[in-house]
Amino acid sequence: MELLIDGIKKAIDMILSGDREVFAITWLTLKVCLISILISTFIGLPLGIFLGLTRFKGRRILLLFINIGMGLPPVVAGLWITMLLWRSGPLGDLTLLYSPTAIVMAQILVSLPIVTSLTCTAFQQISEKMLLQIKALGATRMQTLIILIKQLKIAILAAIMAGFGRVIAEVGAAMMVGGNILGDTRILTTTIVMEVSKGNFDIALALSFILLSLALLITAALTFLQQRKRIS
Amino acid sequence: MLRKRYFTVLFALMLLVLSACGNTDTKDTAAAKEKKTAPKPAPTEMILATTTSTQDSGLLDVLVPMFEKENNVKVKTIAVGTGQALEMGTKGEADVLLVHAPAAEKEVVDAGNAINYKRVMYNDFILVGPKENPAGVSGDDIKAAFKKLADSKATFVSRGDDSGTHKKELGIWTAENIKPAGDWYVSTGQGMGQTLQVAAEKKGYVLTDRATWLAQEKNLDTLQIVVEGGKDLMNIYHVMQVNPEKHDKVNSKDAEKFVNFMIDSKTQDVIEEFGKKEYGQSLFFKYTE
Amino acid sequence: MNPLVELNNITVKAQNKTILDIPEFQICAGEFLGIMGPNGAGKSTLLKVLAFLEKQSGGEILYRGKVIPKGNVPLELRRKFSIALQQSLLLDGTVFHNIAIGLTLRKLPKGDIKDKVAHWLELFGISHLAKKNALYLSGGEAQRVNLARAMIVEPEILFLDEPFSALDFPTKIKLMEDFKGIIETARTTAVFVSHDLMEINYLTNRLAIIVNGEVKQSGPTPRVLEHPNSSTASFLNEWKKFYPLAR
Repeated sequence: MELLIDGIKKAIDMILSGDREVFAITWLTLKVCLISILISTFIGLPLGIFLGLTRFKGRRILLLFINIGMGLPPVVAGLWITMLLWRSGPLGDLTLLYSPTAIVMAQILVSLPIVTSLTCTAFQQISEKMLLQIKALGATRMQTLIILIKQLKIAILAAIMAGFGRVIAEVGAAMMVGGNILGDTRILTTTIVMEVSKGNFDIALALSFILLSLALLITAALTFLQQRKRIS
Repeated sequence: MLRKRYFTVLFALMLLVLSACGNTDTKDTAAAKEKKTAPKPAPTEMILATTTSTQDSGLLDVLVPMFEKENNVKVKTIAVGTGQALEMGTKGEADVLLVHAPAAEKEVVDAGNAINYKRVMYNDFILVGPKENPAGVSGDDIKAAFKKLADSKATFVSRGDDSGTHKKELGIWTAENIKPAGDWYVSTGQGMGQTLQVAAEKKGYVLTDRATWLAQEKNLDTLQIVVEGGKDLMNIYHVMQVNPEKHDKVNSKDAEKFVNFMIDSKTQDVIEEFGKKEYGQSLFFKYTE
Repeated sequence: MNPLVELNNITVKAQNKTILDIPEFQICAGEFLGIMGPNGAGKSTLLKVLAFLEKQSGGEILYRGKVIPKGNVPLELRRKFSIALQQSLLLDGTVFHNIAIGLTLRKLPKGDIKDKVAHWLELFGISHLAKKNALYLSGGEAQRVNLARAMIVEPEILFLDEPFSALDFPTKIKLMEDFKGIIETARTTAVFVSHDLMEINYLTNRLAIIVNGEVKQSGPTPRVLEHPNSSTASFLNEWKKFYPLAR
């Protein structure tokens, strides 16, 4: 209990005193997570819409893999990316291992299936009749798509939020492919692990509050976007 | 209408990301200015694979910035167990290694995977155990103490992660011809810090390096040092370059500089001075050849 | 008079089963054409083919005497028609937004849209609902919005697939009465699929009976109802047991 209060105090202290290192780590966390989820959204949304609205051979198998991907353990994603980026690996020439880019890659790998699958689920529930009706109203393909996206705004934002939750909570992959390098790839989750192993529970706790606040802020923003302007 | 709103949101997010990228850049240059380095070409990158003890003690947070400043190098420190660090060296995934398991290191050097092998510093291993000391071990003879622990089946917590400390522990068991197994032998598979915490919770004995112990003692009030000082407990750190002839992507230029930096007398003074203020004693001692 | 839409030897097949086999069929300007038949006879499929919303398996469809290439229906042609189904299928948004959507998709100026929507809200007697969310309407209100949404684009042909069949009786007759007045004023050509003799009898002036994917009889509604032929008698007489014609 005492530790908890100390942790909160320390967190407030760290934020108010403008600790450069903490600020840099938080900023990097935000940056890496936002870029990851943004890319996941840009790929996963169209892919999910496509899979949700079309029927083709092999679609179910593809969906199965994507759904398995939803449960992909981050350390497995981390391991794959690590092997891909090793100097001796297929992408070794890019020297991306232990860089923020590597973390972004791993985070995309764990969040893309979530965004894709949840988007697909939402679009799959649109009835044939609704599609027919929209077409009959004189919509072009693009206009139909826009109408559907508007209709499914809530589900789409939920998919993005779920992906973001995965990304910001993720530590195993970030540790493995990022290496927790100070000023370069050290993000909040990996710092927390490190501080715990150093025995600095107070700092770890303080950082955990910062991480939670960050997650809360982003999720609140998305929720606001999701829930506003609902006409009764 | 809603489409417009959508694009506004996406656009705002993109701007945020872009500004985020921009900001780190300025942060980096600001940091560079602060260090007052000469107008610099882009720094080269070097990967240092090392043990968790050097990072968790905080020593590298002092040494690495010194080296970076002097040589315009960006050091990527990957703190893992000694076993993994040596493996990274063997595979050419690191440029320079700082580790503490002489027997395993020797194999890597003999196989030609590492060159420029230099002794850097030492500290010592200690055996810590519960304050009640149920096995009644003491003194400076670690082998006798291990035998006693096995006989009394007192809880022993092992790193179990192929680290230098784990290798050291296994070496002692082997020397005494004991195969540690059973309920009393707990393997955590974690770093030193976590393993110490497990030992504190389970009231077990644990072999640790002194630096990590000193750094964590404040959280471990159920534990105390029970065995220390014997010659078998010496914990020696070596630095070495990954052999550039075996892997073409290895940055041997900076790795060589790092080896030289570590055995430089100025650096050696810093090493011995480190920790004195906080703990009243050195965590590592000069020990070049 | 020249037909608006003409079917020539149209067949529709699904999994080797023939759903529709129509050698010849026409929609003429100004008529209110009913399509009636037992469940699964192919009424809705015929409607979709006529509205260019479903591809035929064989045969050709002509619009004003011109063959329209299969699977390549010009957008302008699709936009000459509109459709209202049994389910209102309204979108999450205001009633105003729902009724306006056909015009929005056709990129009409905002001012025009506003005026037109106001006009059609008024005609259907739902002006007071304009700002309500369309998903929270009663069945009758929703169907009024659905019909207004279809009528506002002033279609050359309005296609209706059982738009009244899910409504309770008092709501149904009130809406049908209003609708009949509106469509007669607008002089819109309409094709109306229903299985309900009362609705058909009240609204349509020509009737086609379809059984097993084939048009068995067609002609002026009263004549078909009074003189079923051998193929349609069993179906129509079932109805007439419960609904003796009083015309």
